[in-house]
Amino acid sequence: MNPPASLGVLEEKKEEEHLSTPILGPSIHSDNPQERIQARRLRIAARLEARRREALGEYLDGKKEAEEDQSKSYKQKEESRLKLAKLLLCGTELVTNIQVAADIREIHRRVEEEEIKRQRLEKLENEVKTSQDKFDEITVKWEEGKQKRIPQELWEILNTQQVHCAGLIEDKNKLISELQQELKMKDDQYVKDLKKQADDICLLLERMEEQVKNVMKTFRQELHHIEKAFEVERHELLTSNKKKWERALQAHNAKELEYLMSRIKKVEDYEQQLNRQRIWDCEEYNVIKIKLEQDVQILEQQLQQMKATYQLNQEKLEYNFQVLKKRDEESTVIKSQQKRKINRLHDVLNNLRSKYNKQIKQFQEENQSLTSDYKRLVMQFKEMQKAMRHFALIDDKQFREIWLMNEEEAKELISRALDVDRIIHTHHLGLPWTAPDFWFLKNVGPISQQQCKSATQILEEVLMRAEEEGAEEATSETESYLELPKQVSAKTTRRILMLLCDEAGFLIESKLLSLLLPLEKNECYLLRLDALFSALGIEVEDDLYKLVHFFLKYQAHHSPPIQEQTSLVSALEPEELLDHGGGEGSLVEEEPPEKEPPRSPVLIHPNDVLKILEAFVMGLRKPRDFRAPAKLLKGVRDASEDSEYWRALTTVIPAATLSLWDVLYTALEKYHLVLTQRAELLIENRSLEQQNTELQQLLQQYLDSKVNSELQVPPTHVFRMPTK
Amino acid sequence: MQETQTTPSLSIPSRSSTSTQDRSSTTGQASSTGPQPSKPPTIAPPVNPKGPSSGAGIHRMRRIIAEDTEWSLAIVPLLTELCIQHIVKNFQNNPILKQLLPEHQKKVLSHLPPDLPLAVTANLIDDENYWRRCCMQRWPVCHVDEHGGSWKRMFFELHLENLLKHFIPSTTDPEVILRLLPLCRNYVRTIRVDQFLPPVQLPSPPHDRDQSDSGSEGEMEEPAMDHYQLSDLVAGLDHLEELDLVYGVKDCGMNFEWNLFLFTYRDCHSLAATIKACHTLKVFRLTRSKVDDDKARILIRSLLDHPALEELDLSHNLIGDRGARAAAKLLSHSRLRVLSLANNQVRAPGAQSLAHALVHNTNLLSLNLRLNCIEDEGGQALAHALQTNKCLTTLHLGGNELSEPTASLLSQVLSINTTLTSINLTGNHIGLDGGKQLLEGMSDNKTLLEFDLRLSDIAQESEYLISQALCANREAARQQALNPSHFMSPITAKGPENPAG
Repeated sequence: MNPPASLGVLEEKKEEEHLSTPILGPSIHSDNPQERIQARRLRIAARLEARRREALGEYLDGKKEAEEDQSKSYKQKEESRLKLAKLLLCGTELVTNIQVAADIREIHRRVEEEEIKRQRLEKLENEVKTSQDKFDEITVKWEEGKQKRIPQELWEILNTQQVHCAGLIEDKNKLISELQQELKMKDDQYVKDLKKQADDICLLLERMEEQVKNVMKTFRQELHHIEKAFEVERHELLTSNKKKWERALQAHNAKELEYLMSRIKKVEDYEQQLNRQRIWDCEEYNVIKIKLEQDVQILEQQLQQMKATYQLNQEKLEYNFQVLKKRDEESTVIKSQQKRKINRLHDVLNNLRSKYNKQIKQFQEENQSLTSDYKRLVMQFKEMQKAMRHFALIDDKQFREIWLMNEEEAKELISRALDVDRIIHTHHLGLPWTAPDFWFLKNVGPISQQQCKSATQILEEVLMRAEEEGAEEATSETESYLELPKQVSAKTTRRILMLLCDEAGFLIESKLLSLLLPLEKNECYLLRLDALFSALGIEVEDDLYKLVHFFLKYQAHHSPPIQEQTSLVSALEPEELLDHGGGEGSLVEEEPPEKEPPRSPVLIHPNDVLKILEAFVMGLRKPRDFRAPAKLLKGVRDASEDSEYWRALTTVIPAATLSLWDVLYTALEKYHLVLTQRAELLIENRSLEQQNTELQQLLQQYLDSKVNSELQVPPTHVFRMPTK
Repeated sequence: MQETQTTPSLSIPSRSSTSTQDRSSTTGQASSTGPQPSKPPTIAPPVNPKGPSSGAGIHRMRRIIAEDTEWSLAIVPLLTELCIQHIVKNFQNNPILKQLLPEHQKKVLSHLPPDLPLAVTANLIDDENYWRRCCMQRWPVCHVDEHGGSWKRMFFELHLENLLKHFIPSTTDPEVILRLLPLCRNYVRTIRVDQFLPPVQLPSPPHDRDQSDSGSEGEMEEPAMDHYQLSDLVAGLDHLEELDLVYGVKDCGMNFEWNLFLFTYRDCHSLAATIKACHTLKVFRLTRSKVDDDKARILIRSLLDHPALEELDLSHNLIGDRGARAAAKLLSHSRLRVLSLANNQVRAPGAQSLAHALVHNTNLLSLNLRLNCIEDEGGQALAHALQTNKCLTTLHLGGNELSEPTASLLSQVLSINTTLTSINLTGNHIGLDGGKQLLEGMSDNKTLLEFDLRLSDIAQESEYLISQALCANREAARQQALNPSHFMSPITAKGPENPAG
């Protein structure tokens, strides 16, 4: 069983160990090769045998083994069991034989009985038939007898009838007796059967008793046998066990003895070892002792030295201690002095504090009175303003009403004048008339200045527009856009604005920036620019354009004349500078350090933006100073235009037309005269015509009168009829 | 102590001898003397010597102690002892049992006389020993095994049986039985009555106790021959499981009359109603009672779908094919396990109908058709049924005029069927060829344990070989029974077979 051997061999060997141990045949461990071969063969044979046995069935095998194992008692038990079973079977058979015999007898009886019954029934039927025949005969005879009248014959017939009846009755009686005989036989049979059954029962009882006795006896015997067998087996077992026990005990004793001996030996060994050890220990102990004593001496010397140094140190320390004590005393004196000083200063401080508090109170009171005064004044001012605003409104209204009234009147007059003019032109002159087109004719109400758009609105529009353009790629609309006076395209505007937005980011508050982050790009720009413009002070549309122009100009000239720009700005931009003046100043101051931009290749270099801005702001800032009072004029109307307006109204009909009218007038006068003369002549003519017709009528009348006919020569023949 | 007081002078010399028997003698005395002497012993024993308080008494006592070396206080009966004696004495009037300690109960029970009225003892005493004494006193032979091993049950069952046996309708007071009912209702499980007396026309009350007198009462030929109606009794018994009845008269001797053995229709109807109402009934036997087809049909109809019935025995009657057909119907409408129609008049059609019912039945274990006349036709039908039936274990066809065709079919059954353990074909005409065929069938069978072929005209050789095969089967069955993992049916099947054979 070497561990390094190959696995297959290992397993084989393991198995063979199991098998080979009980067999005391040839061993595979022997040195002889022949013997080893034989051992292996034997092993193979044993394995085959085992497999065969397994195949045959464990059960039989087990049984056999069990039989062999339990041998005597088991055999005895089995034997007696079989014997008893056989006995019981035989006994019950013997007992039941009687029952079976009775059964078969009963069956035979039944069969016979049936047969007899059948025969009897047949017989009875036959009998019934014959007797019925006889009876019929007799009844027929009765009929015959009724016909007989002679007594002798009747007697004879009656006699014969009697004889017949007697015969019939005899037959019946015979049958009855036969049946009774049979019944008696049956009774006898019954009694016999009873006896037989009684005998059977007796036999049965006997047999049962016998059986019981037998069974008891055999059971007892078998029990005895089994007990005996068990006893024998037990005895055997006991002896064998005893032997085994003794053997084991002996072996145990021998072993015990052996152990004892070995123990004694060991004890001796150990004692020797102990002795050796002790001697060795003693020697070692002595050596160490000497060494240690030497060490102790050295250490004592060292101790003495240490003591001397210690004393020296002690004296030094004592001296130091004395010195320190004195110093301490001095310091306590100084401390007390300082304390006193602190107290004095504290007093002074307190006095000053109280004074200070008093003053604070005084000033507060003063302050309160002043603020109350101020408040009152403010209130008054506000009321004043309110009143002023009210009056201004009323004035406005009144002005407007008066204006409207006057205008209406003027317009009426003008329309009349124009109507006249039109009639003159069309009717009299025969010229085409065109209505004059004057701006003031369309005007209704007082002339007011147009509202300026705020810079932000423009911005929004610009951006929106630019976006649209960007989307459509159509720049044609730029000119029509708003009232851009200086032909600046929205695109450029936008670009400039973007640039501004990007570069002047520092003008926007950081808070706003953080808020803008989540917004859309466009919105973001809008808000940024809004903030920028508010910082720069740009509020109105014009400002914005100005800014744009400023940029463009700067681009063109690099150094634009700022003064011109500022003058322009100042004319149109009065208010917003005032509102943002404070903020602007600070902004301007902040700006300078941030500028120094290089130029941009495209439009304006981003770095220039700041410079331009600065210039622009400077320009814007100037007007602030002298335009401060302008605010007051805001409410006052510009009356110059009004007068112009009204004057213009008067000149609706131009001077040329007026002169035309004068000439026309004189001409028409003349024309009128001619017309009146003509009218007179016409009337004269008409009266003459009338006289003529009257005269003709008189003539006619004369001609037609009867006088003519009486005349020889009527005038009619003389005259030619002028009329027809 | 009792003795020392009542008869002090007399008892002195005999004390040594009587003291040991003290207990037994007192009981004997107690029963005879009655309540009068029972009063003094109730007074505590230590008081007694002082009670008389006469110097002479004390002197005598001392003398006793001095003289009698064997005298000791131990022989003086204890108070509990005396109380128990008293209780025993007055048990009839004042039954005290449940309140006592178990040990005292035991003592009281062991001393109670067995002839106490049942009204007192029936529901009070459960002790088997007492009832054993009662039984032993009344009946010389007692088979307690037939009554579930309970002496009390046996007592009440036998008592009731006795009353029923000697009950004469319209003469005996039915209250006699009904009065017993509340006492025995918890204990009676079986009623076995092997005679019912008919009503008496010429009353002879003094004689009706005697069984032999019943013969003299059988002279009347009245149509009213109805017997005792069991319905009230059975309805009252909660645990009734077995009913074993014979409508007939025993020991009539020379006074035989056919009328004595008349099972009338009214009897039949009332019995049918009774068994129908009794839902606990497991076994019903009505034998030797001249039950014909119509009565059998009435009875069986009432048993259809009975919840508990397991065994029906109508042997030794006059049942024909129609009754057999009714029984076949019952097979498919109940959980019947044992059916016996032995010694009737069943013929081939009846057997065929039984066979038809048997084909799909899964409850019936045992069928007994001994001493009928089913002949080959019926036998063949039954054999066909057994080819499919997987339940029947025991079949008795003894004395049925069977012959070779049935045997050949049965041999086929034997080779197929694995549930049958016992077949009885005694007293048939099977013949030599039939025997050989059966032997062939037997060679394939491994389950049959009993095959009775006595007196059936077969060759000795085949009978022997069959018995050999049976022996082998029995050995195998025994081995199976010993191995707990195997099926136990062979053993259980033997149970119902034994009474049938």
